Amino acid sequence: MTCPYLEYHDEADGRQFDQPRAYCTAAERFVQPMRADICNDRYALEHEAHCEIYHEHAEVPEP
Amino acid sequence: MSYADYLAGEPLIVTAALTGGVHGKEANPNLPETPEEIGRAAAAAEEAGAAVVHLHARKPNGERSFSTERFQAIDDAVRAHADNVVVQHSTGGTGAPAADRRLPLRTDPSPEMASLDMGPLNRYDHLTSENTRGTVDALHEEMRDRGIKPELEVFNDGHLNEVHGLLERRDLADPVYTTLIFGGGTLTRPRPRNLLNAVSNLPDRALFNTLGFGRHQLPLTTMGILLGGHVRVGLEDNVYYRQGELATSNAQLVERVVRIAGELEREVATPAQAREILGL
Repeated sequence: MTCPYLEYHDEADGRQFDQPRAYCTAAERFVQPMRADICNDRYALEHEAHCEIYHEHAEVPEP
Repeated sequence: MSYADYLAGEPLIVTAALTGGVHGKEANPNLPETPEEIGRAAAAAEEAGAAVVHLHARKPNGERSFSTERFQAIDDAVRAHADNVVVQHSTGGTGAPAADRRLPLRTDPSPEMASLDMGPLNRYDHLTSENTRGTVDALHEEMRDRGIKPELEVFNDGHLNEVHGLLERRDLADPVYTTLIFGGGTLTRPRPRNLLNAVSNLPDRALFNTLGFGRHQLPLTTMGILLGGHVRVGLEDNVYYRQGELATSNAQLVERVVRIAGELEREVATPAQAREILGL
């Protein structure tokens, strides 16, 4: 399951992008490319287990 | 390698880490991500004095990629734009399965060098890049089969033990080439004495490359030059030129370390000299 706080934007901070880039709406900034793997639960990653931003905003207990 | 090598005039290999796989244009808009951008950045870095380019691949949206096809596109662009630079691929990656970590080794031709992380490290609050000995050995085996020279990435002093262990259980061609990495988290604490300590604990005759993250790039690479080692700079490791001022390009960071080497009377290696030093 993709993180509910993840969106892809084609512009932000006054800059436009040819390809929409990962944007964390909880942190209100672009996520890092590696973190987008967590947002999207790629490989064996899970945002509920591995993303401290999700924990903070969802108020879920850390594993 | 030692201060004696510096005094003896050992040429300095400058590696430019152009893009990385952790941060992107959100950290510095000048960081290259597309194959064309990376190809042009490689050419500019080579022109500035880099002999080796350390490469990661990105998807079109800036997220990292391990795919052979994406690395191939980058290599093709680098070779189209650059003159003779040594191509080094990253195999590192938090969370990526071992099978994907092999994909950057499978371009045609194979990269001349590839990184080999020597053990686990932490990222963020909950992530560990495992790099088990099994993963290390499997990656090394494929590098050996493809004629790729491993760049042994040492993120902390425990990884120095792993370098010695790797040499005991596997047959690596001389010269062994290590990169000593300094920064936060589970990396070796970036202090001058820790670079001296790491160098003193390397296997005999091993070469070393110095990598300091962020503000530590400038002082620690300068120190690495004086210790007879080689250096790595670039936007993967440091997006700033100085405090509060983003670097305008990878080439700008290469130009600075080349200027410093010149003042310290250290010749900068051409790609051909680097190949000779590294035994490629």
